[in-house]
Amino acid sequence: MTELVHSAYDSHHAPAVPPPRGLARLRAPGYLRAAWTTLLFWAFGFGLVAFFRWLAHYDPVVDWTIVTVVAFLTLAPLGFLTGIGAFDYWAYYVSGRPTRPEDHSSHGATSWKDYFRVNTDHKVIGVQYLVTTFFFFVIGGLMAMIFRAELAKPDLQFVDTQTFNGLISEHAALMIFLFIIPAFAGLANFAVPLMLGAPDMAFPRLNALSFWLLPIAGLMFLAAFLVPGGAFATGWTSYAPLASDQPLGQVFFNMGVQWAGASSIMTALNFLVTIITMRAPGMTFWRMPLLVWANFTTSLLVVIATPFIAGSQFFVMFDRIMHTNFFRVDEGGYALGYQHIFWFYSHPAVYIMMLPGFGIISEVIAVFSRKPIFGYRLMALSLMGILVLGFSVWAHHMFVAGMAPWLRVPMMVTSMIIAVPTGIKIFSWLATMWEGRIHLRTPMLFALGFLSMFVLGGLSGIFLASVPIDIAASDTYFIVAHIHYVLFGGSVFTIFAGVYYWFPKMTGRMYNERLGKLHFWLTFIGFNGTFFPMHWVGLQGMPRRVSDYSEQFGNWNMVVSLFSFLLGASTIIFFYNVIQSWHRGPIAPGNPWRALTLEWQVSSPPPVFNFDEIPQVVAGPYEYGIPGARHAVLNGGHAPVVADAVHEEARR
Amino acid sequence: MSAHAGSSHSVGHGPPIANQSSRVSASVLGMFLFIASEAMLFGAFFTAYFFVRVVNPEAQSWPLEPFHLPVFVAGVNTAILVTSSFTMHWALQSVKRGNRAGLQAGLVLTLLMGLAFLLTQMLEYARIGFNPGDGAFGTIFFGLTGLHGAHVFVGLTLLAVATVRAFRGHYTPEHHHGVEIPGIYWHFVDVMWIVVYATIYLI
Repeated sequence: MTELVHSAYDSHHAPAVPPPRGLARLRAPGYLRAAWTTLLFWAFGFGLVAFFRWLAHYDPVVDWTIVTVVAFLTLAPLGFLTGIGAFDYWAYYVSGRPTRPEDHSSHGATSWKDYFRVNTDHKVIGVQYLVTTFFFFVIGGLMAMIFRAELAKPDLQFVDTQTFNGLISEHAALMIFLFIIPAFAGLANFAVPLMLGAPDMAFPRLNALSFWLLPIAGLMFLAAFLVPGGAFATGWTSYAPLASDQPLGQVFFNMGVQWAGASSIMTALNFLVTIITMRAPGMTFWRMPLLVWANFTTSLLVVIATPFIAGSQFFVMFDRIMHTNFFRVDEGGYALGYQHIFWFYSHPAVYIMMLPGFGIISEVIAVFSRKPIFGYRLMALSLMGILVLGFSVWAHHMFVAGMAPWLRVPMMVTSMIIAVPTGIKIFSWLATMWEGRIHLRTPMLFALGFLSMFVLGGLSGIFLASVPIDIAASDTYFIVAHIHYVLFGGSVFTIFAGVYYWFPKMTGRMYNERLGKLHFWLTFIGFNGTFFPMHWVGLQGMPRRVSDYSEQFGNWNMVVSLFSFLLGASTIIFFYNVIQSWHRGPIAPGNPWRALTLEWQVSSPPPVFNFDEIPQVVAGPYEYGIPGARHAVLNGGHAPVVADAVHEEARR
Repeated sequence: MSAHAGSSHSVGHGPPIANQSSRVSASVLGMFLFIASEAMLFGAFFTAYFFVRVVNPEAQSWPLEPFHLPVFVAGVNTAILVTSSFTMHWALQSVKRGNRAGLQAGLVLTLLMGLAFLLTQMLEYARIGFNPGDGAFGTIFFGLTGLHGAHVFVGLTLLAVATVRAFRGHYTPEHHHGVEIPGIYWHFVDVMWIVVYATIYLI
């Protein structure tokens, strides 16, 4: 037990291999090797394109659009991954030599530098994910600041229309593919193996690879600004055939989505295998924490749905570079098909962006209300219900797209039915808090903020599900308000709740509670001030995705812009708090929240291999308020940290 | 901490042995999930096919006039690929029974038939007389068969690795995931081809 508490990082060392010197550094995995492998792979891609075009007598031999796709956006990233060592083990296996036993030399972090290399430790990967995603959150947020400045007054002030469209498209693409989806993957990467009582994920090397695809996707989106014609400007939906004839920046979206999607699919596959095959003894499916349930269902969604967006982006790109006719109507293509294929992923994707948040909220609300989750099994089953129903509603995004009219009403009905499992969850959370001892710590504040804001977003969602209202509100700011109430008031609030909740576990230090609360209130006020007026201007007919607007909306847009700057400024407090506390916050105890789930029963931060011995799970994870209740027994029966017995100071 | 005396290096200790909470092994389950995802990628392409050929009110003829599809050659090719699934199964059964010669022969035969399939496909592309830009028909034809061809290529790469290792004697009746998992993928590639052949060439 003593070793368990003190052995955050010292119980494990990589085998004592001296660091490579001189030319050997060019061969050792790292950024130096990545530099020349990236160049080499790029040159190979360039040669490949030139060779085949020469072979087929195409003119010119060097077509820069195709070189961009093949050399810059496919092979150069592969070269980078090879260089930093993401494929080293597999390359060794493929070479046909005998397999070697795992030496864990790439597992765990002893200094900050270890966070910048290929690391197989799920806890390191979780932090890598979160730091990366918050980096792109800031970039995406700054873009929103720019176009809100443009929208503060009618007429054009700062940017031209194509740049404006580029900014909103980049904002959405970054926030969806580089922030919300992977931030959840990061939190789950950190928490899920610990919660299951597993030493790591099922496929640690695949896990590392899935992380490293992400910065590639993000930089690809950003690089679109540098090419002639500017960034992709067709919204994150990138509808065909419009997207097939846009400037070159569009292919950066098509390919960036492939990289981010591949990352998602591999992580999801990893979660599913981990959850199915690596649960601790006694951890039945009905004893899993709801965060694990949430990531189980989310991962199923990702594995099944994500290939559809991959397909849709391939089709659009092929229409451009290979002159295919997937969506070219005059050649027998079917343009509306794009929207069906795209939304068959992208509607389930809104649940990919929400279900892990539901899981976080379930953890936070049970812990900070000191009560068992109300209706645990129904909470898990409602996740499954959303999973199944989520595949039957995609065409509600297309009520005005000219699709078959008979499809409208069934889609309306299924869309409204989704409110049932979601409602079950909302009422179960309320019932969990009912007569609980509520501790209004920052994660709980964000959970309550989530509950109220998500209900508002859900209500405007029900409006929009009904065909007549949707036809009127389509492509107005009412849609923008709705999406931000569910994605910001919903997903982003849960991400903040999760980051504050697991911050002590991840860093071993406590965040500043006062700054956390200040962050919450400023975010809450800034958020509502920004997005609530959009309902009104939307219903009055202000169209979205347009850089200029009629004079009558001027006042409200000024209000919206001012509040959006407040919202942007509120994140400065968050980053100050996180960086400052990570650096020199008070040392966190192993279990500051007196939680029962397994990640809190080990030291903060957890030992390199999580557990000295695999724990024995003996009961459900939410037995709060029951004296002496245990979820699991660690270290052969030595007393684990028992809820409601220690850390009285946390009762404040 | 004596429980970890068996760990591989002397400083500190390795991870505790994870509990195996399912009868399915992690790598087999992982391959099945990967295949589920691959099947959905094919699903996206089949959806495009469905839209172009069935839903589109201005659907063109299939195959587009004046082109025609080499149904017979592709049929022979189908037979080759289906046969290779049986030799793959034979290889796996052989390694389970400790029959190394059977394993090696099975893998080599599978590999050769896969190569023959891919080569035939490339020749067919070269002589078929239309290209991806020839109407939505050409697009869908090259899209679906090309996607499948890429999968055959991946499957062949996996099989080549397995074959090399089989000749070096790395597989035993107890440990043969390196044969089993490429095998599962290979069967998937075969089944997918039957669907592609039926929808593109026959219907």
